[in-house]
Amino acid sequence: MTTETVLRPAAEQQYAAELAALAAADDRPRPPRWRMSPQAVVTYVLGGTLPDGTVITPKYVGSRRLVEVAVGTLVTDRALLLVGVPGTAKSWLSEHLAAAVSGDSTLVVQGTAGTSEESVRYGWNYARLIAEGPSEAALVPSPVLRAMRTGAVARVEELSRMPAEVQDSFITILSEKALPVPELNLHIQAVPGFTVIATANDRDRGVNQMSSALARRFNTVVLPPPATEDDEVRIVSSRAGQLGRALQLPAEPPALDEVRRVVRIFRELRNGSTVDGRTQLKSPSGSLSTAEAISVIAGGMAQAGHFGDGTLGADELASGLLGAVVKDRVSDSAVWREYLEAVVKERVQWRDLYRACQDLDTSGYSVSGA
Amino acid sequence: MAPRDQVRRDRALPDRVVLLGIRHHGPGSARMVAAALAAVRPEVVLIEGPPEGDALLEHLPSLMPPVALLLHDEAEPSSAAFWPFAEFSPEWRAMTWAHDNGVPVRFFDLPASASLGEEPREERGGEPGEESGAESGPRAVLDPLGVLAEAAGFDDPERWWEDVVEHPTGIQLGSADPRDLAAAVAEAMGALREEFADQVDDRTLRREAFMRQSLRKALKETEGPVAVVCGAWHVPALRVLPPSTADAALLKGLPRRKVSGTWVPWSHGRLATSSGYGAGVDSPGWYAHLWECADRGDSVPRWFARACSVLREEDLPASTANAVEAVRLAETLAALRGRPSPGLSEISEAALAVLCGGDEVHLRLVHEKLVIGERLGEVGAGVPTSPLAADLARSQRRLKFPPSLEGKQIRLDLRKDNDRERSKLLRRLAVLGVPWGRPDRTRTLGTFAEAWQLRWDPGFAVSLAGAARHGTTVEAAADRVLRQRAAAADRVAVAAEVLSEAVGCELPVSVLAARSALDRCAAAATDAVELLGALPDLATTVRYGSVRGTDPELLRVALHGLLARGAVGLPLACRGVDDHTAERALAAVNGADDAVRLAADEEHQATWRRALLSLVGMPDAHGLPTGRATRLLWESGDLDTAAVATRLHRATSWNGGTASGATAFVSGFLRGSAALLAADARLFDLVDEWLSGLAPADFDDALPLLRRAISDFSAAERRLLGERVLGSPGSPAVAGEWDEAMAERLSGHVRALLAGVGG
Repeated sequence: MTTETVLRPAAEQQYAAELAALAAADDRPRPPRWRMSPQAVVTYVLGGTLPDGTVITPKYVGSRRLVEVAVGTLVTDRALLLVGVPGTAKSWLSEHLAAAVSGDSTLVVQGTAGTSEESVRYGWNYARLIAEGPSEAALVPSPVLRAMRTGAVARVEELSRMPAEVQDSFITILSEKALPVPELNLHIQAVPGFTVIATANDRDRGVNQMSSALARRFNTVVLPPPATEDDEVRIVSSRAGQLGRALQLPAEPPALDEVRRVVRIFRELRNGSTVDGRTQLKSPSGSLSTAEAISVIAGGMAQAGHFGDGTLGADELASGLLGAVVKDRVSDSAVWREYLEAVVKERVQWRDLYRACQDLDTSGYSVSGA
Repeated sequence: MAPRDQVRRDRALPDRVVLLGIRHHGPGSARMVAAALAAVRPEVVLIEGPPEGDALLEHLPSLMPPVALLLHDEAEPSSAAFWPFAEFSPEWRAMTWAHDNGVPVRFFDLPASASLGEEPREERGGEPGEESGAESGPRAVLDPLGVLAEAAGFDDPERWWEDVVEHPTGIQLGSADPRDLAAAVAEAMGALREEFADQVDDRTLRREAFMRQSLRKALKETEGPVAVVCGAWHVPALRVLPPSTADAALLKGLPRRKVSGTWVPWSHGRLATSSGYGAGVDSPGWYAHLWECADRGDSVPRWFARACSVLREEDLPASTANAVEAVRLAETLAALRGRPSPGLSEISEAALAVLCGGDEVHLRLVHEKLVIGERLGEVGAGVPTSPLAADLARSQRRLKFPPSLEGKQIRLDLRKDNDRERSKLLRRLAVLGVPWGRPDRTRTLGTFAEAWQLRWDPGFAVSLAGAARHGTTVEAAADRVLRQRAAAADRVAVAAEVLSEAVGCELPVSVLAARSALDRCAAAATDAVELLGALPDLATTVRYGSVRGTDPELLRVALHGLLARGAVGLPLACRGVDDHTAERALAAVNGADDAVRLAADEEHQATWRRALLSLVGMPDAHGLPTGRATRLLWESGDLDTAAVATRLHRATSWNGGTASGATAFVSGFLRGSAALLAADARLFDLVDEWLSGLAPADFDDALPLLRRAISDFSAAERRLLGERVLGSPGSPAVAGEWDEAMAERLSGHVRALLAGVGG
């Protein structure tokens, strides 16, 4: 296993033991080329305990119904589209679904403004093309084509960031389950088990709206932000702990209180009012997702481990918080300052955080003066 | 005493009685009942419901469900109760089966004469007495099959019924005996009854005693099989027959009264739990669909086909190909969850993911149209109704004005006869407590047009039944109600309201009655503010009176009478009052002034101005109304700007000891007059001078009132004022210069504020 030597192991590497245990204990019928039954996939994602006592850690904290609809979609070989604001675990869920269903989460096409049609269909090995003329050997398959041939799940990240014409090359693949290669007079047909999980962001600016012809070919599951503060605290603390271990940070796992504090700040700013609903707040321009809360905690842990006493405290959080909240210098720093004065200062137990943020301000770290 | 304490003397129920325990409005139960009746072929069918409804069962063929049995106390018609039935209600199935097969069918629950009393209300915690009576009593507390379903982890009791009761045993109705099913339900209920024994109240025990008595009677009548259709909850209580005397003792002293009733059209919406109906179900539309598709076995595809057409009607993309995928996903989800067939939750989730693109708003559309469903039942012409309801139906036909469950906006042009009649009808119905139309006040359409928001609610039948005692036609009943209210009116405002309603309804007798009530109240009234408060309403009535066929002079005289009395009392009413009363007086002055300008003649306008002048001249009147009166006189030109300046100065100086009187005056003066303030330089300078001259402590005192005075200015007005203030100090020419004295005063004030905070 290469788990020790890579920065971030893929899901099927990191949870290889769980996947193996699930597959071994699974006696339900499996769809063609699936590594386990749909029920076992749901268990893998949501966590549980197997009959032999193996504990499956929950990968996604949220509604069971959503995960069931997602898995059900894959069973019916329809393409699945996960939609949500940034940081709602779209890619995370997509990676784990692919790992559980096909045992391979690496057949990924990353959608960017520069994604070309080759990365969705196929490209050519030009040296070979020139030397030998068009042949199958000169064909460079895209991850999607590889998934079609092996009957695996292909993942498409940020579908809506791709140019519209590249997006549309999925239409044939999804409706015909086949890819014509006119140069070779070939018609490559997908084998059972092939499907696509795409993720798309409905908040970011600069996305290319999907054509309705393409949208029709997906089943859409909207991933909401974590429903309750406790859910979100659970997600952040477990993920930050895992990250800390993976990055071999010298700091102790984060104290629950600090995590709760960060999550509360994020939720309050996101919702535009304090938890008790008494104070109205302005919301900053960023999305303040759960993923960002995780990185604030992880960043704080790194700082505490290398420059502090190893425990995560207000001083370590302050700069991370500032960076997460203030995305737009002018408007967001006003929002943050208002929040500090109106909310943080008023909470007696949060005095340390207030002081830490004030220190940042006076030491010129602040973005507002510029 | 509970019957099970006397087991030894109890007699087991004869085998020829089949107890069919059901879930009200459950299609699964309905299928069971239909199959069981066909298998047993009973000679008598007993159904849970009030025996007074028996006489109405003959109208069954002319009814189209959903309909409701409406029973009301003849002496007190507003005390009424409903027993709704949908096509998929087991009771309805039993009734229609019995009717088709010529078998006598009877309701055998406690008579409505006993249940219409105060008891149900007490049980439901003082909830207004609409649909209910016997129906929503204990079942509102406990849905027994629902409890079992929830215990088994099902979200929908019908799902549980389908999955657990029907599917696993492989019962294909017709092949296995539905009686076994009924026996299994009875078994489960027996256990549940034990557990929830403390939830059984006296009323339930009495109802069950009556059911047993009726059952005994039926057993005497016939030697053949007897079928009993009742809520599953009651089955355990009917399985043994205690001595008849014990039941008779329980039933002693039940109230007796004369009850009459009819069938009324009902709707799926009113069957839904969300409408507040105690025994309601969450998804009547879905249940109706299940019932209709049960024989064809295509409930899921048909559902998605209907969902697609609902979406397409709203111009949303929903192709047949997508419906196919939705069916596949729903079936996969059901398999994933280990359920034999997709239920409402799988279907909704599949519709959300495939048809609605994850958009909850679209799904809600499907939910409203299909899951709840808006279907209105029909009641044939032969069914007896109250003369009032018949009159209403006649009017609706005559005016081509059919009731509809969907909200609709209409515009009526009162110059057209048909529209005017419609308006009259809506207003008269409102008087009778049937708010079919709500006047849309957000748009003003002038004197000749009205906007209404229409929405018929089947529950209006209750109010109609209650109003039936007032008269046999809508007109007569409304007239009577208004005259009664006029006679009972004891305050000017009430009498004025009755008057304006009577004018709107075009009921001359009521108009006269309300007029004299108004005179009577005005003569007795001592509070000028109250008298003046009735003016705005009356002024509007005067304006509309001519359209409404009432002589406007008659109303104008009433208005003048009120005005004369109020004007005399106004100055005195503003003397030595607290801030709260002053606010009322301010509102009254405002409203009365509008009313006077709208509807009073020259002479009375002069009277009003004299009253305002004497208020302004009254030395110890409260500042708020006085300030407002000054403004009004200034606007009408009775006081020129110089005079107003004098008054402002005088008001601020003679109250010199306390600044609050002055502030009240300025506040009353300024409220709602930003434009005036910004435009009139003299006025502005006057206020400016006065404000700048206040001592810091007085300024603090003045802030709240000033803030209130300007709080109803629009943002644009406030900006205008702000610009005016910034641009004005002294003269614009010296704006760049530093005013040492002003700065000193300001910074001193800020320091004082900060010191206050620090301390």
